[in-house]
Amino acid sequence: MRQRYTSDVLVIGTGGAGLRAAIELHDQGLKVLLVGKRPKADAHTVLAAGGINAALATVDPEDTWAIHAADTLQEGRMLGDPRMVELLCQQAPQAIAELEAWGMPFARTSTGLIDQRYFGAHRYRRTCFVGDYTGLEIINALMREVERRQIPILERAYISDLLHTGNRVNGAYGFWLADQRQFVIESNAVILATGGHIHIYQRSSSRRRENTGDGMALGLHVGAHLADMELVQFHPSGMIFPHELAGTLVTEAVRGEGGQLYNRHGERFMQRYDAERMELSTRDRVALANYTEIMAGRGSEHGGVWLDISHMPASLIRERLPRMVEQFQAVGVDITREAMQIAPTAHYSMGGLKVDPFSHATNVAGLYAAGEVTAGVHGANRLGGNSLAEILVFGRIAGQHAAEYVRQHSEQPVQAAQIQQAAERLAWASQQAGDFQRSLIDQLQQLVWHGAGVVRNEQTLEASLDQLHTLRSQSQQRSVGPADLAASLDLQSMLLTAEATILAALMRPESRGAHQRSDFPATDPLWQRTIVIKPYRDQTEQLRLELTTELIPTASEDVQAAFNQQEYSVAGRLVE
Amino acid sequence: MKVTFRVPRFDAATDFTAKYQIYHVEVTPYTTILDALNIIKEEQDSTLAFRRGSQSGIDGSCGMMVNGRNRLASTTRVMGLNATEIALGPLPGFPVIRDLVVDFDSFFAKDAVMLPYLVTDIAKPEDGKERLQSPKDANRIALAATCNQCGCCTSACPVHWSNGEYYGPSALTRAYRFVEDSRDTAIKARLEIVGSETGVWRCHTIFNCSECPKSIPNGENIQALKRKIMLNKIGLGRIEVKVARTEATV
Ligand SMILES: Cc1cc2nc3c(=O)[nH]c(=O)nc-3n(C[C@H](O)[C@H](O)[C@H](O)COP(=O)(O)OP(=O)(O)OC[C@H]3O[C@@H](n4cnc5c(N)ncnc54)[C@H](O)[C@@H]3O)c2cc1C
Ligand code: SF4
Ligand code: SF4
Ligand code: FES
Repeated sequence: MRQRYTSDVLVIGTGGAGLRAAIELHDQGLKVLLVGKRPKADAHTVLAAGGINAALATVDPEDTWAIHAADTLQEGRMLGDPRMVELLCQQAPQAIAELEAWGMPFARTSTGLIDQRYFGAHRYRRTCFVGDYTGLEIINALMREVERRQIPILERAYISDLLHTGNRVNGAYGFWLADQRQFVIESNAVILATGGHIHIYQRSSSRRRENTGDGMALGLHVGAHLADMELVQFHPSGMIFPHELAGTLVTEAVRGEGGQLYNRHGERFMQRYDAERMELSTRDRVALANYTEIMAGRGSEHGGVWLDISHMPASLIRERLPRMVEQFQAVGVDITREAMQIAPTAHYSMGGLKVDPFSHATNVAGLYAAGEVTAGVHGANRLGGNSLAEILVFGRIAGQHAAEYVRQHSEQPVQAAQIQQAAERLAWASQQAGDFQRSLIDQLQQLVWHGAGVVRNEQTLEASLDQLHTLRSQSQQRSVGPADLAASLDLQSMLLTAEATILAALMRPESRGAHQRSDFPATDPLWQRTIVIKPYRDQTEQLRLELTTELIPTASEDVQAAFNQQEYSVAGRLVE
Repeated sequence: MKVTFRVPRFDAATDFTAKYQIYHVEVTPYTTILDALNIIKEEQDSTLAFRRGSQSGIDGSCGMMVNGRNRLASTTRVMGLNATEIALGPLPGFPVIRDLVVDFDSFFAKDAVMLPYLVTDIAKPEDGKERLQSPKDANRIALAATCNQCGCCTSACPVHWSNGEYYGPSALTRAYRFVEDSRDTAIKARLEIVGSETGVWRCHTIFNCSECPKSIPNGENIQALKRKIMLNKIGLGRIEVKVARTEATV
């Protein structure tokens, strides 16, 4: 027998965005159910280290929400949605106060206020933090509130389909990872808080089997639109060796503390990319420089460049970068004496589900989204620390508006035919051999890395699109061997979101922030537009993607007045 | 290097005793116990059951017994054990569900008893901003707050083995984290909970529980709770003092 759950609102994802949404829904008196495919206290959010931004003006009294918004939009190379960014920056201080009230052990100033530090290209110190495990403490704080409210959580439960009828969402279908038993959830509204899709890249700062783009794919299947899918943030420094750890972040603080970048000729190559700021240049620029050196054959034997901090006193390195010393010690590298080998790694999905800036509703009735799964805040380059603020602010807002929706719409019972359809997809997946599906995932990650990576052009993108179609048809042929339902479904979501990323990258004929096209190296002012992706079904009922563009509204006068006229150094501001 | 793993196979639904199975895995200096289990599951035997989450020591999913000691599989490097034969086992002191997976329901239920959230009647500042806390007070709870409920400590506690009702070090550390939080005012309620029949007085300070992957000194935390209960009994508790100090830090 299939298990059945009912709730007013189903929240998919137990990261910061999902937990915050659930708390809001509960406080509005609704029955809410949380589901996550990983253990409940282990969403991707726990990896966040550096901190969370809010213009509290504690340390720098000149700071305001408008300056925070201006920094965010400008660093996003003007592709962020100003309405969403303004809302975020206005409400971030409230999110911090909430966390504090829930017992978050923030670092404090000597007067007992919440301390703030610099992070990346921010004009003022506005990043609140708890050591180098801010994300983990956010999850702890939110999880405690979820427990206090006794909100039910289904953990290690994989959502495979959203249920959709009469143009609105009315539940979801899924299975337990442990034993593959299936379940149906009936709910009047659904919030997707499933995180990003960077696992489509061979090297990423995500862990195995997360960030597979599930939420974006679930949304597309019921008609939701995506935006900004070509905009993927690459972090300049990920480990490359050993391969078990490839992609693991090497904190920017290494550069912040004086780390220097070298190629195989011993040349400090940042001179050629940003002579003024050198290693302290912005994320997108350093990532591009590292990538270019590697591709030009000036990299290391493992395919990286060298990041060297060993010229600094060993005691200072141990004091300031203890986690890095440890991380490399474990692989036999003493960073106080030798250089690290690093290469860019995919880090964050700036694109995702397109939502209303004020309500975080998608274009599908009853379907809301919040967190990394959405597009709109970060434009073409995310500022460090903004994402944790985003998941809290918009988690709450999505919860609030989903609650309103539920009050205004009566339930739409799930019909047998809907269940039948969802069960058929799982039946299909259970006939695929896990080994084979996993090998296709590896191939997909490689082709996306090479075709739509740090630098793309028409040729690489077209080639990767062709290969992607081949992989997709292979993935649908029956293969023999023990099944791995999750791997098969992950692969399908990854194929779909990778396709969206490649198509959008093909469409944008310019270079801007994280989107670098070698065939269009300049930024084109006419392309200060959002690329929107809409799904449709062709005659054979196959899901296809259609791309259009939309203009971006102008920022409010407060924010325009705060735009910065000059670029400044990020010296002393790289923490994370 | 090839390493031999000896793993108990057991299914509570059908078995009375565990059978042992041997797997051979090729490891590098970087392979963790969890990596090895992943290799076994993906390449040799998909029926093997174990828990994994962060794969990086964060969420505490992968506590298990490794050559006789409770450890996190995801942060333990195989070669670091200097052994070519490795015996794995489920965390002792908990009912086994399957293979290496134990039933944590009672463990989590005990945590819930501790009121594991901030309870406070210190008024919120009128400007809607944060309550004050000195860096010293913030540091006081920093370490205990990192507990990820992996259960390694409680599972190593001999008192917990013989008395399943005992709250155990993990839950008590949780209480400690809030008792020590200068913003929390439910100190009395929590001390009553941890001072009850199944609480701190059961602890015989054997300090088995100090082998915590996060280096949390559970035994000492429990001792501190005992002292606090005693001080409170004779009216020297710092319940009132605490509120005053929060103001004094301004
Ligand atoms: C190493 C690292 C450091 C970072 N540092 C910072 C920082 O300092 N500051 C900052 O602001 N940001 C930082 N970020 C980014 C930030 O951590 C993330 O963007 C953010 O946590 C995303 O939160 P979320 O709630 O949207 O999603 P996630 O935390 O990714 O949660 C997604 C949830 O959805 C669930 N899920 C997904 N698919 C399914 C499915 N099919 N069925 C059921 N459940 C599903 C998952 O199990 C999970 O619970 C960092 C990221 C990394 C990787
Ligand atoms: S105190 Fe340490 S060993 Fe015990 S549950 Fe917490 S993290 Fe695990
Ligand atoms: S010190 Fe107390 S809690 Fe820790 S192992 Fe010993 S008896 Fe158990
Ligand atoms: S898998 Fe998360 S702690 Fe080991």
